[in-house]
Amino acid sequence: MPMASEFELLGRVTIGQYLPTGSLVHSLDPRAKLLVVLLLIIVVIVSNSLIGLSLLLLAVLAGLAVARIPLRFALAGLRPMLPFLILLALLQVFAIPQYSIGATVIWHRGILTITDRSLLAGILLIARFSIMALGLSLFSFSTTTTELTHGIEHLVRPLQTLRLPAHEFALVVNIAIRFLPILAEETERLMKAQASRGADFGRGRRNFVQRTRLLLPLLVPLFLVSLRRADQLIEAMEARCYLGGKGRTHLIRLQERLPDYVVVAGALGLATGAIYLSRVNADRLLWSWLSSHL
Amino acid sequence: MDGAEEPLIRIEGLHYTYQAGTHRAVPALCGIDLTIHAGEYVALLGANGSGKSTLLRHLNALLLPTAGNVWIAGWNTRDATHLRNVRTTVGMVFQVPDSQIVATVVEEDVAFGPENLGIPEDELRQRVDWALSTVRLSELQHRASHLLSAGQKQRLAIAGALAMHPRCLLLDEATAMLDPVGRRQLLETVGHLHQDGMTVVAATHNMAEAALTQRIIVLSEGQLALQGEPRAIFSQIETLRALHLDVPHPTLLARELSARVDGFPADLLTIGELADAVATYLGEPAGAAI
Repeated sequence: MPMASEFELLGRVTIGQYLPTGSLVHSLDPRAKLLVVLLLIIVVIVSNSLIGLSLLLLAVLAGLAVARIPLRFALAGLRPMLPFLILLALLQVFAIPQYSIGATVIWHRGILTITDRSLLAGILLIARFSIMALGLSLFSFSTTTTELTHGIEHLVRPLQTLRLPAHEFALVVNIAIRFLPILAEETERLMKAQASRGADFGRGRRNFVQRTRLLLPLLVPLFLVSLRRADQLIEAMEARCYLGGKGRTHLIRLQERLPDYVVVAGALGLATGAIYLSRVNADRLLWSWLSSHL
Repeated sequence: MDGAEEPLIRIEGLHYTYQAGTHRAVPALCGIDLTIHAGEYVALLGANGSGKSTLLRHLNALLLPTAGNVWIAGWNTRDATHLRNVRTTVGMVFQVPDSQIVATVVEEDVAFGPENLGIPEDELRQRVDWALSTVRLSELQHRASHLLSAGQKQRLAIAGALAMHPRCLLLDEATAMLDPVGRRQLLETVGHLHQDGMTVVAATHNMAEAALTQRIIVLSEGQLALQGEPRAIFSQIETLRALHLDVPHPTLLARELSARVDGFPADLLTIGELADAVATYLGEPAGAAI
């Protein structure tokens, strides 16, 4: 029934595309995995060293192998971004004037110029995005939504002592995730109701803008429904004595174990290494060593 | 504490007006006096807009009276220092199954109430396990809450209230959105809880459900219209019709039969009673047909 699937939004809501292989990576504490992912993102942005980024890429690939996640699964998330990525990389290579001032020209034809610096910037951009995408895939394939919320809640809890609204943040994340299936269901209901009265949600050949415009009539009712749902949820929370995060206890307690410490320590080491390689300009050193010895 | 003397719920001169003090003021409750004792099973009937939900929301301080007072186990609901006491004494189950579930996992949703109370970890776990087994959802404790059926979600809501160890449960049309099986299982659960001493106040449009209770309170336009045992209330068919309410089908049938057959009882409430009466009338010993 291809017709029915047009409205089945619930099936498409996949935050966390969990792939239960039962590996070591899956059994890690979600806090450890969150920390490592956070660290990975920071280092990938900060480090300018191709050698450092290659090390990170190897580490992420090793993680995928240990987690027994097929590479084509992990790459699937990268595919929709690929056109944008290539466009951005081309812009870096050809269109940023700063990269051509005082740099060695490698290739030149008409108005197009490639310098060593611009080429490096393009390669770095693709490397950064690929590592991040693979790392996030590794995380989301090996962590359930529940583990994710537990992890966030436990990680931010210490911030409460700094008088930051840590509990509120965790609750907002939790309720947002809780509301996704509800809103998907409501949207499905609204779409069916409107379609039964002749609304067309853009089957056939329409471009992205046209299809988006067709969804506009859904927005206002969906907004109203969300507000009503939120009202009801607040009432239910108050009826169960919710008076803010003060003095709350917790049913779930995450228990960190030795592998969690090992993984976080390893990630810290790797991160320091990648940043150090970038600081000492390791790429240039390697390049000059190679060109003088070969 | 003189808890033995004090009724569980005492309402005196309760008035409530939505948007009070503005030009859009809507009076919802106009002078309610009511006492409900511990262990009672009470049904709250009334047409849409008669004030059932508004009254229930006063019983756990979700709403505070515009005038008059509500005491729960001796605590005035206006007294903010006893807010937690009031809300743990009286648990509430709402009409819409989905929007009263806070957590994404069944057992964590049950824990939400006691977590708010600051119950220590060991006892928390005990309370959650007990509440889930009471509503017979123990096997589903690690399930994602949005994957439950509507009936299971309502029983989860009951478990969430039970985990706070309340003395009274309020059901605000809790069966309205359930299919027959879900409704029957929910009513069974509530029936067991009542047998174990729980006070239950249930707003409902379902007359068969109201016939199961010990006392019926009928609201009309924010005032108490009728009050009494189900048998006494449902005998006043014309009065109920004037209040836009129905009577249970067995009662209607019994009344039709008694108008045509001499000596057939008119004041029957349930299918069981009706079957017994018919069997007696046909001259067979009651229960022999089973």
